[in-house]
Amino acid sequence: MEFTNKFKYTLLKAIDLSGMTFLSPVVRLCYGEEPKVQLQKIGQWILVPIAGVFAFLFLWHVTSGSVKTKSGTLPNPAQTWRGYKAIDAHANRENLKMEAYDIVGEEREKMLAEAKQQLSLVSPRVASTNKAVTKAKEAIDQDTKALIEPLDSEYKDKKSGFKSAALERKNALILAAESLPTGNVEAYEKFLAEVKAAELQNEADKDELSLLKKEIDTIREVKSPDVADALIEQTLAAEEEQFLRKKIELLSDRNRAIQVEVATGKIVDYKNEFLSLSGKEAYAKARSIAREQSRLTKMGESTYAKPATIWYQVKRSVFCVFTGFLIGTAIAVPVGILCGLNSTFMAAMTPFIAIFKPVSPIVWLPIALIVVSGLIPDPDNNPFIEFLWDLPIIGVYKINPAFIASAVTVALCSLWATLANTALGVASIDKDYMNVARVLKLGFFARLFKIVIPSALPLIFAGLRISLGVGWMVLIAAELLSSSEGIGKFVWDQFNNGASDSLAKMMVVVFLVGIIGLILDRIMIVFQRLVTFEGTVSV
Amino acid sequence: MAILEVNDAAVSFGPASNRYEVLKDLNLKVEENEFVAIIGFSGAGKSTLMSLLSGLQKATSGEVLFKNEPISEPGPDLGIMFQNYSLLPWLSVLENVKIAINAVQPRLSKAELDEKARHYVKMVKLDHAVDKKPQELSGGMRQRASLARTLSLNPEVLLLDEPLSALDALTRSELQDQILNIWEKDKRTVVMITNDVDEAVLMADRIIPLTMGPAATLSDEFKVNMERPRNRHTLNDHPEFMRLKSEITGFMLGLNQESKKLSGNVVPMPKVTPKNFAPPVMSPTFKQNPAPVKKSNNVA
Repeated sequence: MEFTNKFKYTLLKAIDLSGMTFLSPVVRLCYGEEPKVQLQKIGQWILVPIAGVFAFLFLWHVTSGSVKTKSGTLPNPAQTWRGYKAIDAHANRENLKMEAYDIVGEEREKMLAEAKQQLSLVSPRVASTNKAVTKAKEAIDQDTKALIEPLDSEYKDKKSGFKSAALERKNALILAAESLPTGNVEAYEKFLAEVKAAELQNEADKDELSLLKKEIDTIREVKSPDVADALIEQTLAAEEEQFLRKKIELLSDRNRAIQVEVATGKIVDYKNEFLSLSGKEAYAKARSIAREQSRLTKMGESTYAKPATIWYQVKRSVFCVFTGFLIGTAIAVPVGILCGLNSTFMAAMTPFIAIFKPVSPIVWLPIALIVVSGLIPDPDNNPFIEFLWDLPIIGVYKINPAFIASAVTVALCSLWATLANTALGVASIDKDYMNVARVLKLGFFARLFKIVIPSALPLIFAGLRISLGVGWMVLIAAELLSSSEGIGKFVWDQFNNGASDSLAKMMVVVFLVGIIGLILDRIMIVFQRLVTFEGTVSV
Repeated sequence: MAILEVNDAAVSFGPASNRYEVLKDLNLKVEENEFVAIIGFSGAGKSTLMSLLSGLQKATSGEVLFKNEPISEPGPDLGIMFQNYSLLPWLSVLENVKIAINAVQPRLSKAELDEKARHYVKMVKLDHAVDKKPQELSGGMRQRASLARTLSLNPEVLLLDEPLSALDALTRSELQDQILNIWEKDKRTVVMITNDVDEAVLMADRIIPLTMGPAATLSDEFKVNMERPRNRHTLNDHPEFMRLKSEITGFMLGLNQESKKLSGNVVPMPKVTPKNFAPPVMSPTFKQNPAPVKKSNNVA
C-alpha cells in the first residue's frame, strides 16, 4: 500500500511537472480518492474538450463543402485524413524502395517474388478502377447531355432569331436614312434616337445570349462526386502499381548488388578480350576496363537517391528551429543579463530592441539569404558545409545556405522575448540575495553564476518558451520562402503542385505544425517548472 | 579595546525635503568576546541598526568602526544573520551553507567542504533536512538554516537579527544554549537583537534598549551581573534575574507609553496589571492545567 501510494505521488508529481494536469483526476480516481470530485473534474477537463473536438469536426464537415475554390471544395475531415494517409504512404514507399535497392542474395529474390505477386493483384484493380472512371464519366455525360440539349437548341434558336432581327433593323434604318429631309433638324434627331434604340436592343440580345451560355457552361462544369471518388480510387491503384513496378526494378536490374555483379562480369569479359588484343585496340580496351572499374567503385558506395519524405522534412524543420533557437538564445541571454545588470547598457540597447523587435520574418529572410549566400558563394565546395555534411547525426540533414538563412531568421525573430525576460529577471532580483552576495564578498562571476542567473532562471525560461513558440511559427514561413527542405517547403510544393488532394495535404500540415508546436511548448514548460522556486517573479 | 564602535551615527532615508530619520545619536562600544543584546519594539529600527553594524547600510552621519577601521563594505568577518533568513531558494540547505563556506575558504577540497557544511547543519539540528529546499521548510527550520550559514562563515562578530523569533519554545532554548556554547567555546563577539527580555537576560552581558522610532536611539544599558553558565531552570528564582527583568520590562513599557503620548492619539487599552516581579515570599508551586473542555464536533 505504501509503495503504491508512493508511486501515486511520483506519478502526480510527474503530471504536474509536465503541465498535463488534466490527467491527475484520472490517477486519483484509480486510487479511489474522492470519486465524485474526480469524475466531475474528468468531465470538465477531459470529456468537455473531447466533445469540443467532435463539435469542431462536425462543423468542419458541414461547412467545408460550401467553400468552393478553383481546385475543388475545401477538404472535409475525411478527405484530410486521406491526405495524411497519402503523405504517410509516400514516406513508407520511399523507405521500402531504399531497402529494395540495398537488399542482396536470397532475401532479394524472396522480396522480388513477393513484389511480383503483389503487382499481379494490383493490375486487375487498376483495370477495374479505370473502367469505373470511364463508366462514371459516361453516366455524368449522359446526365449533362440531357440537361444541356434543350438549352443548347434554345441558344441556337435565339442566336439565329436575334441575328435576323438585327439585320432587319439595320436594313430598315438604312432605308429610312436615304429619305431623310436635309436641313430638318427634328427629323435627324428622331432618326438618331431610332439608331440608338436599335443599338440598345442589340446589346440586350447579346446579354441574354451570354447568360444562357453561362448556364450551359455551369452545368458542364459541375463535378460529379461519383467521378471524383472513382478518380481517387484510380489514383490510389495507379500509385500502388507504379510503386510496385519501381520496386521490382530496384530489386532486379537497378539493384546495387545486381549492377555490381553485371559490371564485374563485364570487366572479366573485357579482360579476357584485352589479353588477345594489341596496338590501338588494346589501348581502347584497357581504357574501357579502367573506366568500368572506377564506375564499379562508385557504384559500390552509392545509395538510393531518396526524395524528401514528410518525416524527414519534419525532423529537418525541428532541427532547424532548434538551431535558430540556440543562436537566438546565445545572443539574447548574455545581452539580457548585461541589460539587467547595467541600466546604462539597457538605455543604450533600448532603441535597437524597440526597432528590431516588430520586424517581420518576411523582411529578415531575404536579407539573411543574401548575406549567407554571400558568405558561402559555392556551397558544393565549401569546407564548412562539407564539414557539416560529414558530421555523424546532423549530416543527413544536409545543411545548406537556405537552412542557415532560415535558422538565422528564426533567431532574429525569436530572441526578443528571451532578451526582455532575461533583462527583467536580472533587474528584479531580490535585494536580500544581493545582500547575501555582499556579505559573502562574492566576486563578479561568482555573483553572476551563483546568485544572479539562478534567481533570474525562471523568467529566462519563461522567455525561452515564448521564443521557441515564435521561432516555430517563423520557421514554417521561412522555409516556405527560402525553399529550405522542411514542412514549409512541403506546403509550398503542394501549393504549386495543384493535384486534387494538394489542399487536403496542406490541411494535414496545419495539424502537424500545431501538434509539433504543442510538444515543443510542453518540453519548455517542463524545463520552466524544473527551475522555478518559491517566490518566483512572474510576468 | 572595542572591536565594534559606533560614534554619533545616524541613518535617515529619503530626499532632503522629506527626510525620514530612522536612527540618530547612536553610540555603542562592543568589547571583544562580549555578548550584547539590543532590545526594542517592532518597527523601532532594529534591523536598520543591524545593517549599519554589518556594513550593508552606510551611516548618513557619524562613523562605524570595526577594529578601529571604518567599515567600507560588508564582509564575512561581520557575520550577519538576516531577520528574513535570505536563504537562496534554488539551493538546498546544505548548498546554502556550502556557498558561504566556499566564499570564506575557497581552497577546501570537495570532501572537506561537504564535511564542514554538514557539521554546521548538524549544529542547528537540521541534519534530517540537508537536501530540502528552503520552500520545503517551516519558518523555524529556515531560521535555523540561516543561522547555520552565518555560523559557517566563522565570523569575528556575530550579528544576530532576532535569530530565534520563529522557533517553538523547546527548539528555542536548545538553540540559545547552542549559541552560548559557540560563543563561550570560540570566544566570539555577539550582538543580538531580540524582543524577548528573558532571552536577553539569559544570554547577554549587557542589554541595551532601543527607544521607539522614528529617530530611535540607544538608551542606557543594563549590565547583567550574573555568573555563567546560567541555568535556565533556576533562573526564574534568581533575584538578579527578577530585578533585571522587572526593571527592563518597566523601562520598555515606559518607552511605549511615552511614545504613545508623543504620538497623541491614545487608544483605549484594556486594564492589564503587569506581573509583580518582586522576590516571592515562598517558593512557586505548579498548578495543574485545567483539563481542556471537550467541544462537541458536528462537522466530522
